[in-house]
Amino acid sequence: MSPRLLALVPSAVALNLAIGFVVNQLGLPLYLDTVGTVLASALAGPVAGVLTGIVSQTVRSLYEGFIWFPFVAVQVLIAILAGLAAMRGGFRSLPRSLGWGLLVGALAGALSAAISWFVFTGVTATGVTAVTLLLTHLGLTKPQAVTVSSLGTDLLDKTIVFLLAGAVLRALPERALGRYPWARRALCR
Amino acid sequence: MTRRAGLAARAHPFTLFAVVAGVAALAFLVPAPAGPIALYALVASLALVTGNARAAGRAALVCLPLWVLLALLHGVGGGFDPRSITVSRAGLAAAAAQGARLGAVATASLVLFAAFDPSRFLDAVAARGWSFHAAYLVVATLQAAPRFRRRAAAILEAQRARGLRAGGGIAGRVRSLLPLTAPLVLGMLTEADERAMALEIRGLGARVPRTALDPPPDRAGDRIARWTTGGLVAAGIAWRVLA
Amino acid sequence: MNGADGALAFHGVTLRYPGTDTPALAGVSVSIRAGEVTWLYGALGAGCTSFLLAAAGLAPAHTGGELGGSVRALGFDPRDPAGRAALAGRIGFVTAVPASQLSGVAATVREEVAFAPANLGWPVTRIESATASALGRLGVAHLADRDPAHLSGGELQRVVIASMLALGPALWLMDEPASALDRAGRDGLVSLLVEEAAQGAAVVLASEDADTMLAAADRMLVLEHGRVVLDGAPDVLLAGGEIWERAGGSTTIASLARRAGGLAGPVPALAAPYPLTVADGVARWS
Repeated sequence: MSPRLLALVPSAVALNLAIGFVVNQLGLPLYLDTVGTVLASALAGPVAGVLTGIVSQTVRSLYEGFIWFPFVAVQVLIAILAGLAAMRGGFRSLPRSLGWGLLVGALAGALSAAISWFVFTGVTATGVTAVTLLLTHLGLTKPQAVTVSSLGTDLLDKTIVFLLAGAVLRALPERALGRYPWARRALCR
Repeated sequence: MTRRAGLAARAHPFTLFAVVAGVAALAFLVPAPAGPIALYALVASLALVTGNARAAGRAALVCLPLWVLLALLHGVGGGFDPRSITVSRAGLAAAAAQGARLGAVATASLVLFAAFDPSRFLDAVAARGWSFHAAYLVVATLQAAPRFRRRAAAILEAQRARGLRAGGGIAGRVRSLLPLTAPLVLGMLTEADERAMALEIRGLGARVPRTALDPPPDRAGDRIARWTTGGLVAAGIAWRVLA
Repeated sequence: MNGADGALAFHGVTLRYPGTDTPALAGVSVSIRAGEVTWLYGALGAGCTSFLLAAAGLAPAHTGGELGGSVRALGFDPRDPAGRAALAGRIGFVTAVPASQLSGVAATVREEVAFAPANLGWPVTRIESATASALGRLGVAHLADRDPAHLSGGELQRVVIASMLALGPALWLMDEPASALDRAGRDGLVSLLVEEAAQGAAVVLASEDADTMLAAADRMLVLEHGRVVLDGAPDVLLAGGEIWERAGGSTTIASLARRAGGLAGPVPALAAPYPLTVADGVARWS
């Protein structure tokens, strides 16, 4: 690994955790704990994003117990898709960020649902499980309820993550962008 | 950094990780619901007798809402009408099994974190010749996380002082995220750039094996614990395959 | 090692950062000798930091942009991977912001200072003696077991310099290294740099502190808009008028003499060459 990657990844992971703190302070029903992962992919390529995702989940597991570690697969998927979005200029404009956010949200939600069901028998983060519970009482089967609640949560969360990452990237000064060739592609500059 | 006391803190760092991985594997291999419940009881008891009651308590607090939700999701059926509510014994047993799995893994891993000494971990990795860079990423993040959190709190305070309205409806709060996130990201990039240069100059990219300054001893007890854990996991897999 | 070019040689070096029209360095050609303290002086944006980054091989590798011309540090090209490998541990690079130069993983000051030698695979005994010696020379041996995150700015700057000193660099590149230090710390740093140069190292230091650097530097390079516009002995350049007009460079006493001369009119006692130190002023005006 290059010193640039070794310096970027811990900062991007710390950003994931710090934004989690801000979201909590604002009382938002979201996670947004993949902003650093998406930015790392968009700035330095999917390898940086994948490393950020893996380290993020590892460090969160150290703090909170390794129970949620299987969701590392979702972080990796988001990092790879964010790298793909960057290659295709997915952060050039608000509509493009929105489109990629919806796509990534749908795929990440599907993977989250599968992990929630097969590893955790439907119970994951408190808020998502509360929705799952509500849906089962509305008549959905448990697998259906898990799928709908995971998809709904991730669609909203990842769309906002991509919109936020796109807005931040477009606001970066030219000199900062010049250090990250991937960011130029992500913004088609 | 002060050296932590206790059996877990004296153990080789790899032993702790092996035991946590072993507990996680066994939690899903042993027959439910008795197996996971017994495993959680064993792990929690070991945590208590080795002086890790706080970690065990924190794990229970982390798991408590999940236990309630598991019981509701699997054990309680019916609609919103209280008369239609049914309780399933099989569902409650499944919930207990899953709850015990989460409890066992959370307890083992929080004991690990309470005993985790970053310097010993880095030296253990260097002494084995494993990827120091991978270990660096984890330990550097543990140091960076509180710094970024303080920075986030300061930015939140400063933006509020400038009149940022972070209250009101969800849409308003989502909109307030950008002026909070942008300075954090700029700070992240500046820190990453300067740190990258410092690491380059200080030889982190050098293609030579790093010296372990004070490698932790790998005692017979550590090796026995790791082999025992490995053996139990292998036995669990064999039992699953044969059964 | 140095050949005819000296410890550090720039030939027609031009550096341009992304998104800017004006070059940060514009055709710099200069040779820095081992055994000397060379002082870079210039206003903000004159190119001093860029000079040091290019010399260390950090620009454009870490900054982006393009570098033209040739740079040789200790006989190697710092842009070339083989050159960078050969230079590992032989360059001491210190900036004005100590916190961003920490390893990010050390739990104690001792571990911080030992970080670079350990990365280079030195044997433990050599690392221990180099660490102890560096901590002692910077006067921070008593902080060895402290967490670097809990040190003051001045203490941290000394630890960062100690972490470079432990490597025994042959080329020092420093950007305002005394910014966080008090008077005693600055004096200690000057003594250290003079000792390092006396032992054969090349020391290049960017600073606006003329009072401190006058005592330490053997040679002064004045940069303006990315070019070296003056090159000479610090006492000669500082006593003349050109450096004042170009970059406002002066010691405190020389500034006083210039301003007093401006107020009093053509008084011979206040004309160039200006006194540079308090002792010079007392000798001239008493």
